[in-house]
Amino acid sequence: MRILIVGDGKVGHAVAEELIREEHDVVMIDNDESVLQRTEDTLDVLCVHGSGADARTLMSAGVSRADIIIAATHSDETNMLCCLIAKKLGAHYAIARIRDPEYNESLNILQRELDIDMAVNPERATALEIGRLLRFPFATGIESFARGRVEMVEFRAHEEDAIVNIPVKDINRKLHGIPQVLYAAVERDGEVYIPNGDFVIKAGDKVHVAADMVTVTAFFRYLGKNKMRVRDVLILGGSRISYYLAKNIMPMGIHVSIMEINEKKAEMLSELLPEANIICGDGTDQDLLEQEGLSNMDAFVALSNRDEENLMTGLFASRQGVPKVVVKNNHVSYLGLINDLGLDSIISPKSITCSTILRYVRARVSGGGTKVEKLYRLMNGKAEALEFVARLNDPYIGVPIRDLNIRPHTLVAVIVRRGKVFVPFGNDHIEAGDNVVIIACEAGISDLNEVIRV
Amino acid sequence: MNYKLVIRSLGVILLIEAAAMAPSLLVSLLTGDGQWAALVWSMALLCATGFPAWRLSRPEENNLRAREGFLTVALAWILMSFFGALPFVFSGMIPSLTDAFFETVSGFTTTGATVLTVFEGQPKGIMFWRSFTHWVGGMGVLVLSLIFLPKISGRTSHLVRAESPGPTLSKIVPKMSDTAKILYLVYTVLTLLQFVCLLLTGLSPYDAAIHALGTAGTGGFSNYGGSVGEMNNPAAEAVITVFMLVFSVNLALYFRIIRGEWREAIRSEELRWFLCIVAAVMLLVTLSIWPEYGNFFTALRHGSFQVASIVSTSGFATADFNLWTPVAKILLLLLMFCGACVGSTGGGLKISRVAMLVKYARREVRHVFQPRKVQVIRFEGKGVDDALLSQTAIYFFVYMAITLLGALLVSLEGSFDLETNLTAAITCANNVGPGFGAVGPMGNFSGYSMFSKLVLSMLMLAGRLEFYPILVLFSPVIWRKN
Repeated sequence: MRILIVGDGKVGHAVAEELIREEHDVVMIDNDESVLQRTEDTLDVLCVHGSGADARTLMSAGVSRADIIIAATHSDETNMLCCLIAKKLGAHYAIARIRDPEYNESLNILQRELDIDMAVNPERATALEIGRLLRFPFATGIESFARGRVEMVEFRAHEEDAIVNIPVKDINRKLHGIPQVLYAAVERDGEVYIPNGDFVIKAGDKVHVAADMVTVTAFFRYLGKNKMRVRDVLILGGSRISYYLAKNIMPMGIHVSIMEINEKKAEMLSELLPEANIICGDGTDQDLLEQEGLSNMDAFVALSNRDEENLMTGLFASRQGVPKVVVKNNHVSYLGLINDLGLDSIISPKSITCSTILRYVRARVSGGGTKVEKLYRLMNGKAEALEFVARLNDPYIGVPIRDLNIRPHTLVAVIVRRGKVFVPFGNDHIEAGDNVVIIACEAGISDLNEVIRV
Repeated sequence: MNYKLVIRSLGVILLIEAAAMAPSLLVSLLTGDGQWAALVWSMALLCATGFPAWRLSRPEENNLRAREGFLTVALAWILMSFFGALPFVFSGMIPSLTDAFFETVSGFTTTGATVLTVFEGQPKGIMFWRSFTHWVGGMGVLVLSLIFLPKISGRTSHLVRAESPGPTLSKIVPKMSDTAKILYLVYTVLTLLQFVCLLLTGLSPYDAAIHALGTAGTGGFSNYGGSVGEMNNPAAEAVITVFMLVFSVNLALYFRIIRGEWREAIRSEELRWFLCIVAAVMLLVTLSIWPEYGNFFTALRHGSFQVASIVSTSGFATADFNLWTPVAKILLLLLMFCGACVGSTGGGLKISRVAMLVKYARREVRHVFQPRKVQVIRFEGKGVDDALLSQTAIYFFVYMAITLLGALLVSLEGSFDLETNLTAAITCANNVGPGFGAVGPMGNFSGYSMFSKLVLSMLMLAGRLEFYPILVLFSPVIWRKN
């Protein structure tokens, strides 16, 4: 597919990188020539210099033949205008990044009137994700599939957890009464494994388990991880994410404190969020943090603009005994380091935005296959979880899974049939209309038939 | 430095060169020149070297950075020329390896400077290979390799940038491999078109093929000692004149015309500069040599052919312009520097660089008496970055310095006069072919010593790859670890 990306920023670049890996034709538009030069050196894309809201620039980038336009400049207005013009000039789908909370209120009208097919709000998406983590503090990551019927939860295995040091196939036999979940993927020392029966989970592994909500909750209760609840949260930085997060979690009875250094911003937040406790001060000041009762907090969320600041204060909070620490970090290169330091819940607005956009693109890949309904990038893009709906005429329908030819490093994780969730075994088969969740180490799968052959 | 990746890429290039010898082998078998063994042995040696390099060198990472790209391109061209010389040596056509290397470098760089003194009765398959090197070298071998192996590395732009001529890299479609495919397709179709046109003028298929390949690459090897003039076929001369100019234009423009964007293609500023320069010099040269030929149309025929030949940096000849008036000779010499358009198969400084330098100079002169005037230089309808302007100026300096250094080195042996030595260096660095004096259109380079031939070979390579990749070879930084 021919995809135009307007705005060669963090998100634009990351999306382009992923799309090239999936062999799409990518055209990058930006009005900063030096940025484009760097992109041209590193990525196999066509670079067009100019403003994305300029029809001539869009034409010379071949907008009339474009399947998708992704507008990700720093300005919401440019993004909206870009999509509007591109659609008028012949682009098929338009994705715009719209982040201003003011626009968010009237998003439906804007989207309809400006003919934008998808609006991405990185801050809001990030806030929702953090909200979920605070609801389930034992998890370091949560994704839900099949309209919330399947939950995939990521957590770090500890030495005292019952499931470690036992081959996966013996877990249900040896541990009496453990709820049956699927061990979908394991990350160890930066490598991703899709466990087979002989795989042994070790302490320190990041484990992804999948099942329906009740079973997952029971599973974590069995492991003794479900005791804690978050009641008090301290948020560092009064950014848009903080605002959306506060809005999201306050109704759940969680008490929110936000620390913001800029007085004007702090005042505005106080006006917008009257129930929250807004503190104007430097969040990196450890005395101030202690004074505001950091050690009594159930959770600490570092959302300042500087990743380094977030990491350092996150570490500090963790040393102070805060049980749940969530840290915002956009630097992929820091991730290995952070894991070594023991911070588990890392949130990257960039990669959340990326996966949202990619999910949309992947679902529109031309050619009539069995399309991806949902896509989640796990472990920082090293693995993917994909949800498909099985179609009536596909060849694998009704064939026992044991007789299917499934691509290596790929797992048929969960099947949802008529609202019931189950983990498939060799004798089970896929029926038309089933929601099938696949876990794959390879990126770029867009059709279920690519994975399963008869 | 990721040597394993460089070696692997070089292996691929050698295998492609082996494949490129196949058409010559076919010609050799069809014409029965009895020298097929020379080609088969060369292909065998290429495979024996290339295959292990490709299969056994397993780089840990497939990341081609700028330094690997430049090194790969420079080494690839030197190795290609070495192996490409083998058929000449094995067949006994050019027994000395240095001479054969010079001839092959001249072929791949589309220069067309030759050491051959006898043209009659040479094996046809080997002569075909000699011209085929023009065709392959014109568009570039690494660009060709992208078509077959688009995944050789994620970052191919460094390879293509180092090999393809011009100050900036211009892709025409998002994927580099698709761009390469389109350009090669346009190139092949145009070559075939010229081949058919030449057949219609009454040339034998073999002559037509040799001259079509030589024109397409803007090389200039002919299978006659007196070049195109010896065939004495005005219609063929006209066809070659037109196609020399066709191949001096950015090939991407033809793609734009096919895609229906002919208006944008015609509006290309570089194209207009090119056509103006060509028309003006053709007229001046014709006027200057009119008295010599006595007839305006004969003067126009020779004048336009020679001007097209020099500006496209081909180097075919229909007349001994060595004997023309000093004005005509100086005009031709200036054209050698000027060269063809960016993205064509021609060499030289390139029209767009000349245009930018002219505008740059005009602005700087203006600045002297109007220091506060703000002037952004525009080219192709867009403002040109000052960084690009200074890069162009520096490039011009490097280009002149190396060309003159080459002239100094070939003068050391003392067997030729100033005119010969100077124009030999200029014609090699600009990939034109003939110069003046002893290396004029009816002369050749066989009189130079081995050392001078190697110097001229390096000059040709440097000129074809636009200096930096070859300079990189002599820079200690590139050989240092990381």
